[in-house]
Amino acid sequence: MSADEHAPVLAADDIVAGYLAGIDVLRGCSVQVEPGELVGVIGPNGAGKSTLIKAVFGLLRVRSGTVRLLGEDVTGRSAHEQVRRGVGYVPQLENVFPALTVEENLRMGIYLRPKDYARRAAAMAELFPVLAARRRQKAGSMSGGERQMLAMARALMMEPRLLLLDEPSAGLSPVHQDLVFERVREINGAGVAVLMVEQNARRCLQICDRGYVLDQGRNAYSGTGAHLLRDEKVIELYLGTLARVR
Amino acid sequence: MRCPRILLPALALALVVLSAAPAAGQGEEVPAGRGFGARFLQALIDGVQFGVIIAITAVGLSLVFGTIHLINFAHGEFVTIGATFAFFLNASPAGPGWHLIPAAAAAVLFGALMGAAVDRGLWRPLRARGTGLINLFIVTIGLSLLLRHIVLVLYGTRPASFAQYDIQEAIDLGPVGITPRDLTVTLLSILVLLGVAALLQRTRIGTAVRAVSVNRDLAEASGIDVQRVVLVVWMFGGALAALGGVFFGLVEIITWDMGFKLLLLMFAGIILGGLGSAYGAMVGSLVIGIVAQVSTLWFPVDLQYAWALLVLIVVLLVRPQGILGRRERVG
Ligand SMILES: Nc1ncnc2c1ncn2[C@@H]1O[C@H](COP(=O)(O)OP(=O)(O)OP(=O)(O)O)[C@@H](O)[C@H]1O
Ligand SMILES: [Mg+2]
Repeated sequence: MSADEHAPVLAADDIVAGYLAGIDVLRGCSVQVEPGELVGVIGPNGAGKSTLIKAVFGLLRVRSGTVRLLGEDVTGRSAHEQVRRGVGYVPQLENVFPALTVEENLRMGIYLRPKDYARRAAAMAELFPVLAARRRQKAGSMSGGERQMLAMARALMMEPRLLLLDEPSAGLSPVHQDLVFERVREINGAGVAVLMVEQNARRCLQICDRGYVLDQGRNAYSGTGAHLLRDEKVIELYLGTLARVR
Repeated sequence: MRCPRILLPALALALVVLSAAPAAGQGEEVPAGRGFGARFLQALIDGVQFGVIIAITAVGLSLVFGTIHLINFAHGEFVTIGATFAFFLNASPAGPGWHLIPAAAAAVLFGALMGAAVDRGLWRPLRARGTGLINLFIVTIGLSLLLRHIVLVLYGTRPASFAQYDIQEAIDLGPVGITPRDLTVTLLSILVLLGVAALLQRTRIGTAVRAVSVNRDLAEASGIDVQRVVLVVWMFGGALAALGGVFFGLVEIITWDMGFKLLLLMFAGIILGGLGSAYGAMVGSLVIGIVAQVSTLWFPVDLQYAWALLVLIVVLLVRPQGILGRRERVG
């Protein structure tokens, strides 16, 4: 592993990717995450946010462009290899194994290093007390918020250096959204770099160090969270009128 | 299981096409002189024997569907090739004349290699190009035809049996009888199925297979090499199909299209049990085998596959997801 500690944790440049032959969903998209950073990606539905995360993670083949992890070129590597390299991923939907219990889901999270299970499960119990109390409950029977916590815990079992989160707050009540964002900041505060896609653009930009606005498979805007929150064009196009009233 | 809606109609069509083929000569002769209870018991025993053999062949078909959502129409040919390959090694005048046991072992190995070959050589490159599931399904039909006719050319149309364990006296168990060969095959089949279940439930690779079946992306995100798991599933399925072919050839007869005819029952078994689940395949196949045999108590043997299909339809009307569908899904 030729990891360069000073290189960006993630540097994806000019990514072109898509699902169907001949149709590019991402059309030259770039994101960068520095060590310890919390980076947000916002944009309208269908902009390609989930696609970007999948391409970066290796679930979707990159048609052109490069993906680097800590300076190492990992373009075209499959996702399970990225997991070995310290990347955790929480999908937008279906992010836990519903028929498995909380404990079994956490075991799946550390499938590659089963010996570390006890130590990591203890750490996760501390970070997510709600999970500790529900070890034997089936993931499928948990509430949306609890499931999201479990999904994050699952992805953290391998102690990733970079966590990819796809809309962690989607479908949750405001209270649970707050809980999720709190946890994300806590995880980030512990030194894990985070790339987070969010539909809740305002909240996302409020807690992010930097943000990208994606539109139609391209970078539309980027800057610090505070900067984007004040940008007239971003407000107009992506944050909606509510944002301006506030 | 998320699968394109079009797949089930396509499968139904395939079943109709298949059911037009005449039923294989299944069914032990039931002595007419015995009472109904004895005949029923005999049919039940035959049904279990038939069912576990279908189950062995169907597990691979189901796991392949579960992991890559491919309906493999050529799966029956793995069964035929397993049986005819063992026949070649065991009883063909042109072959080396091995005893059946090493010949069967070689056939199982050959089945695994064949599974690996079609995955690496065919399905994987096609998947990598993003070929749609319907197109892949059509390719499996073509592959089925191709393989079947290769067998036809090499093996011919003459039904044959293995050199050992061919004709045996039935052991008299009171009201019913079973030959030592059939008893051994049945017990071995049950053992194999228990082994498959243990493998899926208790080993790392089994966990990985189940995880991939439930959620491919989440399996990858857990660090599982999905391509490798798929390869293992193909090898495993190929080996089991070949073994099932040898067993079927033992208790019945070897023909160039035996697997193709069994395919209908395998599909019925895995749909009945719940698509994509290995345990469903086992339970469903067992039901299909028993229904097929027990139906011969009242109806002509030629209709026994039709009764199995009828049960399939009735069960699906009551429980569209199959007997074990969705319930057993794990990661
Ligand atoms: N599996 C797929 N096959 C084909 N096209 C897809 C697939 N997944 C997404 N797309 C298409 O790619 C485009 C981008 O989708 P993507 O999921 O990346 O958007 P998104 O920005 O995450 O949207 P959302 O906010 O709704 O999650 C859309 O036009 C979508 O229809
Ligand atoms: Mg999305």
